[in-house]
Order: sequence, then structure tokens, then C-alpha cells
Amino acid sequence: MSEFVRDGDIYSLDLTLDEAQILINVVEQLLELLGEGSFNHHYDESDPFAQLMAQLTAAPDEIVTPEDPVLLRLLPNAYADPEAASDFRRYTEPTLRGKKERALLEVRQALEIIVDENRDGVVADLDCDTWLMAINDLRIAFSVRLEITPDSFDLFESLPDTDPQKAIFAVYFWLGWLQTSLLNAISR
Amino acid sequence: MSTDTLTDADLDISHLTDRPWITLVWDDPVNQMSYVVYVFVKIFSFSQERAHELMMQVHNEGRAVVANGSREEMERAVQSLHEHGLWATLQRDDVA
Repeated sequence: MSEFVRDGDIYSLDLTLDEAQILINVVEQLLELLGEGSFNHHYDESDPFAQLMAQLTAAPDEIVTPEDPVLLRLLPNAYADPEAASDFRRYTEPTLRGKKERALLEVRQALEIIVDENRDGVVADLDCDTWLMAINDLRIAFSVRLEITPDSFDLFESLPDTDPQKAIFAVYFWLGWLQTSLLNAISR
Repeated sequence: MSTDTLTDADLDISHLTDRPWITLVWDDPVNQMSYVVYVFVKIFSFSQERAHELMMQVHNEGRAVVANGSREEMERAVQSLHEHGLWATLQRDDVA
């Protein structure tokens, strides 16, 4: 399996075409969720940023606690008190959402080069904070949808290969493995 | 608590400005231990040992106070923790 590699201050990641395709798919799915359906992954390179700006300039009155449990976990309440949480969200959520989107868009852009060339490739000179943030947000999104608990790995191992859930769990655990690989490269 | 009589303590609003605020990080089954340590070191400039200790407290006790200070400082800390995908809240110290 692919690992992050560090050479001095330069980080890179070799990916097979299959891995790059899986990763870009889940990145785009999360971007669409964060954009509440307004993100179109068939846009030209420049257009996702237009969508991003649309998010950032949304009128403050429209920002409410997300109903989708993935979004609520990615953009959580900062206060237990609903009123304080709502006020805080109104002023800070666009920035938080924007940072998460930018990290995912940067990862998507790097993956797109590999996917478009339609063969195994390398993500060279990647920004490790950006990749850590994006990979972690993907893990969180998967974990909410899969209802991950501390026992989930045992469940995953017990699933027959024919179970359609097995492949989804496999991606979730692979993302965890990728994150560990990057953290190891950073601390090396 | 009775609300029949206002006492001097009830009228003392100094706690609204003087009491420190705290940032709490809550346990979840998702964030990996090494990642949580990495984030604590990055955001709060903790030593590896201190970051590991707090991470274990979150893991074992369900939550840990990772910072205290003014409300504005704690709001910035919570925002930064949310950027990194950790589940964090802030509150006045005396509520904990």
C-alpha cells in the first residue's frame, strides 16, 4: 500500500490509479456535502472557487445548526448553550467551512492530475497540514455514516467479502492508515 | 435554588468578566491517538509528554480541559480544534 515519504521538508505520496480514483471520489462527495449540493465536480479548475466564494459570502442569517449528522460533526457547536452556539456559528462557520473546503479542493486538484493521466502517479511536494486536515475530515464523514464504534474493526473483519459494506469500511480504515503514514513521516 | 430574595451574591456580576473560560475536548471513537497528540502540540505548543497526557485523559475520562483563558482566547482555540476535526467546546470555568 502507498505511503507518505519525507525527504527533508518535502513530502510526497505515491498512489496507484485505483487509490487515486477512490480518494478523489470521496473528496468530491464530501465537497458536495459541504457545499450542500451546490458543488459541481464537472466544473473547470477555476470554478470550484467561485462556488467556495458563494459559501463564504452567504448571508449570516442563513447559517443554522446543520441537520446532517456529518456536517454537524465537521462543523460542531462550540457551546452547550444553544443561543451561544448559534451566535458563535453565525460568525465563525463560514471560515471553518471555507478552510475545510480549501483543503479538500487542494487534495482534489493533486489527485485529478493522476486520474486524468489514467495511470499510477505521485503527489509531489504536498502540504502535510492540508492533507492531514482533508484526510481527517474524510475519516470523520465516513465514521458518522458507518456509525463507527471502537468495535468496528472487528465487525469489518467478520464481514464476508461479498458484503457491500465491506468495501466502504475498507476505505475508512485505509484513510486511517494513510493518516498514520503521514504522521509517521512528519515525526521521522 | 430559591429565587424569592436577591442577595448581594446575586447582584455581583464580577464573575461575568473575571472568571476564566475553559476549552474542553471530548472523546470520540474516530480521531486516532497520534493525530490528537499532533494537533495538541501544533495548536497549544505543548510538549509531547503533556499532549500525550491530555490525549489519554480525553480517551479515558471522556473529556479534558486543554486550555483556559479569556472567552476570546478560548473561542479561537475551539475554532482551531474544529478546523482539525476535534470535538471541542468552551464554557465558563465554574460550570465544569
